[in-house]
Amino acid sequence: MSLNTNDNTTESTTAPDTFHLHCTINGQPIERDVEVDRSLLSFLRDDLGLTGTKGSCLEGECGSCTVLIDGVPFNSCVTLAGRVNGRSVTTIEGFAQDDKPAILQEKFLETGSVQCGYCSPGLILTAYALLQANPEITEEELIKGMEANICRCTGYTAIIEALRRARREMLK
Amino acid sequence: MPSSTESNKPDTMPQVEPLAGQSCKRIDGADKVAGRAMYGADLFPGQAELFAKVVRSPEAHARVLSLDTSKALAVEGVVGVYTHKDVGGTNRHGLIRRDHPVLVEDHVRYRGDALALVVAKSERAAESARDLVEAHFEKLPVIGTIDQALASGAPKIHPDGNVMGDKRIRKGDVEAALRTSDVVVSDTFETQTTDHAFLDLEAGIARWDGELLTIHAAGQWVHEERRLVALALGLGPERIRIIQPCTGGAFGGREDISIQIHLGLAALHHPGKTIALRYSRSESMIARHKRHALRIHYTLGAKRDGTLTAARIVVYSDEGAYASTGIAVMRKAASHATGPLRVPNVSVDVYGVHTNNNPTGAMRGFGACQMAIASNGIIERLARVLKMGPVTLFEKNLIEPGDEVTTGQHPENITIKECLRAALDKFHSKPYPNDPLPPHLKRGWGVSVMCFGLGYGDGFPDCSRAKVAIDEQGIITVYTGGVDVGQGLLNMAAQVAGTELGAKLEHVRVVAADTGRTDESGSSSATRQTYFTGNAVRMAASELREQLLDITGNCLKVHPHEISLGPGGAKNTPGFAYETANPDNHMSLGDLVREGKKRGYPLEARAMFKPRTVPGDPNTGKSPKAFVTYLFGAHVSQVLVDIETGETRVERHIGCHDVGKAINPQSVEGQIAGGVAQGIGMALMEEVVMRDGRMLNPGFTDYIVPTIRDIPPVEAIYLEHDDPGGPYGAHGVGEPPLIGAVPAVLAAIYNATGAAPNKLPCNPENMWWMLNDPQRRGDFTVTQAM
Amino acid sequence: MFYQPQTLEEALELRGRLRDEAIVVKGGTDVLVAMNHGVLRPRSFLDLSQVKGFDVIERDDGWISMGAGATFAQVGQLDVGCLREAALSVGGPQIRNAGTIAGNLVSASPAGDGCVALLALDAQVEVASVARGSRWLRVNDEWFLAYRKTALADDELITRVRVRTDFQSAWYKIGKRGAVNISVVCCAVGRSPDGCYYLAFGSVAFRPIRTPQAEELLNGRALTDDLIACAAESVMDEVSPIDDQRAGAAYRRAMCGVLTRRLLRELDRM
Repeated sequence: MSLNTNDNTTESTTAPDTFHLHCTINGQPIERDVEVDRSLLSFLRDDLGLTGTKGSCLEGECGSCTVLIDGVPFNSCVTLAGRVNGRSVTTIEGFAQDDKPAILQEKFLETGSVQCGYCSPGLILTAYALLQANPEITEEELIKGMEANICRCTGYTAIIEALRRARREMLK
Repeated sequence: MPSSTESNKPDTMPQVEPLAGQSCKRIDGADKVAGRAMYGADLFPGQAELFAKVVRSPEAHARVLSLDTSKALAVEGVVGVYTHKDVGGTNRHGLIRRDHPVLVEDHVRYRGDALALVVAKSERAAESARDLVEAHFEKLPVIGTIDQALASGAPKIHPDGNVMGDKRIRKGDVEAALRTSDVVVSDTFETQTTDHAFLDLEAGIARWDGELLTIHAAGQWVHEERRLVALALGLGPERIRIIQPCTGGAFGGREDISIQIHLGLAALHHPGKTIALRYSRSESMIARHKRHALRIHYTLGAKRDGTLTAARIVVYSDEGAYASTGIAVMRKAASHATGPLRVPNVSVDVYGVHTNNNPTGAMRGFGACQMAIASNGIIERLARVLKMGPVTLFEKNLIEPGDEVTTGQHPENITIKECLRAALDKFHSKPYPNDPLPPHLKRGWGVSVMCFGLGYGDGFPDCSRAKVAIDEQGIITVYTGGVDVGQGLLNMAAQVAGTELGAKLEHVRVVAADTGRTDESGSSSATRQTYFTGNAVRMAASELREQLLDITGNCLKVHPHEISLGPGGAKNTPGFAYETANPDNHMSLGDLVREGKKRGYPLEARAMFKPRTVPGDPNTGKSPKAFVTYLFGAHVSQVLVDIETGETRVERHIGCHDVGKAINPQSVEGQIAGGVAQGIGMALMEEVVMRDGRMLNPGFTDYIVPTIRDIPPVEAIYLEHDDPGGPYGAHGVGEPPLIGAVPAVLAAIYNATGAAPNKLPCNPENMWWMLNDPQRRGDFTVTQAM
Repeated sequence: MFYQPQTLEEALELRGRLRDEAIVVKGGTDVLVAMNHGVLRPRSFLDLSQVKGFDVIERDDGWISMGAGATFAQVGQLDVGCLREAALSVGGPQIRNAGTIAGNLVSASPAGDGCVALLALDAQVEVASVARGSRWLRVNDEWFLAYRKTALADDELITRVRVRTDFQSAWYKIGKRGAVNISVVCCAVGRSPDGCYYLAFGSVAFRPIRTPQAEELLNGRALTDDLIACAAESVMDEVSPIDDQRAGAAYRRAMCGVLTRRLLRELDRM
């Protein structure tokens, strides 16, 4: 008995088609031939070597893979690479300028919000997008906006404090 | 007063605060928030040349009749498909018993069993080929539950049968004490299988260059992993190097072998090529060991005034397909069966039973977690029968200095009453909400108490080694085999060494978890690293300190006892050694090191910390020192329950733990909050659902872990009652917060609803059954009453 | 091949030509999850994410009309009670930025929160093809034909979804944690200005359903405790939940009764 449990697609041994992708990643224009079925997560990590964006649940449940597409947070693991054709993408690598951590990164560090650190890039990008979209966002709305970024280590307590401090500072 | 901007003087003013006790930022934190930290899968780009995928069994219980790899081999890009015949050594691993095949020979025992390993030039090709390996099985009856495993005529999962082992404790005369008790209550607690659900999926690389096999993979004990790779593959351990990449959480889930041996096998067959292997989430869940689900029958007797008299506890533990660390979990469960309660007569029997479910092994709490649910829960029930408040009943029976725990050991530093008081004080510092609730919402609160023996215990050899060195730039480097899984081991080691040597954190480096560069420091588990590795680091740093004082004394013509070490005043200048009474008489650490080399000093020091524990008597389980030291904690939880839908939310949660000393207070609070979150997850939502050996929820859509909306800001309190055996009085904090959290949530539910929860998780459906079905109602047995 | 039409005309032309050879994506989240599990291996994609004007939401003549590309995030801003709340309960913010209510209609999952809200609003869906032009279908038996099978032909695309603005509605979803849940049970209750009730449920049948017999009991009547109790009893009879890894049938059935009572009372207070 074959261990192929996949009964509903044809088994094909030919390589997938590619298409020509133009986009901007962290401010840099990028042009690549990409396999049509490539996820954005895989494109960023495996094609471009941008490993700051993390894969974890691979189902759009945990937010570790969060990137910003035109400033809006998406789960890159359930986004096709082709989706960003003609668009701009921000990953955690594009976040800090000139080696100086941005406010959010600094607040995460000073509050103890970074333990294993695997969720940190996703959390920081999501928080950033929420605060940019509405600097006067309430704490309750900010927390609700983070509901799909899972952290398994910190219990979120330090993160809530980091968000509080970042919001205060960014409002100045 | 020396100005702090002067670069060439020691900064003695103000008095330099020792690093131990400071909430220093994580030394690897900047890389993590910038996305620069390299976890296992991040090593692939630019390095991975060949990709490996594991072929796992579609059957939970079967004999393998044949395995045909020809179609897989024919896939374009595939360079090899390996079976057990290609494994050079024992083809077995396991932390206690080597019973787990690397690649199955003939007997499949769970769906995570590996049948073959595919290696290809691309991941896509490896995945295609994986699906084309053909196996023929003789199916065997699947043993999905403990009852099925114990039924007569049940097939044997292992040659010795399905009972893997047992552990007993006998103290006093339980039956007589129960007979003469005024009240006896009983209940059966069923705890569930949970998954570690760390975010950083198993992933790593390996390369064999003909001389050395180098494996980069995240485990919890690099030296033990090296031993296991060596035995399984038939290679001398000196030919193997295991290096830990940055690691995204473990919680006990990396304690067993995951990808290491498969990576090594693939690498050996492709010399000079870097092999990459990574799991998807579903593979990670299906392959990995899980927390033991325990069925705990707990009977407790008491006098009418609430004094506990006797406890009889019988536990059935689902050990799953392989031994893993199950024996140790059984022992820990047994030895924590009565927690921090004074019970003069105790009988405990823990039976571990094999099934065709996932092997069960280490997960934060390690058997003590499940027992705390029962020991706290039974007190809650007894309190209702005696018409006493649970807090009063607890306080009447908590152990005090001079008392003993379940195994008969007398811990030196019993502070459970202080923990409970502090937790309650914090809880009562805010008024209890009195907003009017609609009829379908009920609010309640409850407490829990816990204790936990730190380290492996029971006579298992437990040792940490460390080396501390200093260079001509005055930079201190700590070498430890210990793994930082996110808990902050790197900071702990750096802060301890820095404290001994009067250094600033930026002048201390840590080299960790590389068998090629660091000595063995035991596993990052059992809440042991601060105590064991912290002590080893402190001892080594202290030894190095003596060298530095001797050298300085010689150079400055001052007695070594009259010399201090301290950091430089300017921001980037490493430290100084100076005459304490006359800081102008000083030399820089750099000069000191150069002078020391001239005088033949090694400028490094090693130390080993290996305290002994005493195994429990096989008949009575008693041991004067089952664990090196005990940790105490108490929690208070407040919940809101929708009694129509069963939905339950934690509104407030306090966790108080005596940590001896908080080397890094922020890290301690982080461990408490994180442990509470996992405890709330276990209490309310987490459950690995197995049916006939098949996992129904191998993913985050249906394995539910807490989001930011599920955890209130945790009120974390730590007490510092100096533990004389620990570095600067510190002992540990990793597991206790989870152990304390679960029973407090359950106690709060009991208080809110009047129904006593005994089946986890208390998800909406289970809550609804508890509240509505007379058969499943949260009732317990009172076998004797006043 | 990766097709990325810029206009609706292009999109319809491609759909008419390619039919099921190219899998249609806009948010694409359901499709990608299946791909990540190795269950789906599409060779071609028809990506609608760049079609101009595809996500426009318009109000006119008593209707709110949402372009098929409108995301759950966008729908979550509307002031239509159950639709807004259902949209905000789908996944998390990242998923809501991608997923569309039209996508929910196409996949026709029994748990589809968006579909359940649309049923309670007696919504309509517009489909179009090059061959036959466009037509409106009611989101009910006209749309849901069988388990995960809809009336959408393989040369058609959804172009718009519309709901009345004059309905009152309420929503509740039972999940296993405070956020990011696949429904264990969800319920939406709508009432038209002339007192007709629309009771919709998710995860209790092979498709999102309404309970017409319970609705019959309520239509045109004032809500009393007795009437609400009768309706709840009827609902529990009409639904056909199953046991699965998420929950058991008995609990789901009981929750349909609980939510019916709760949401009808909520409507009564409006």
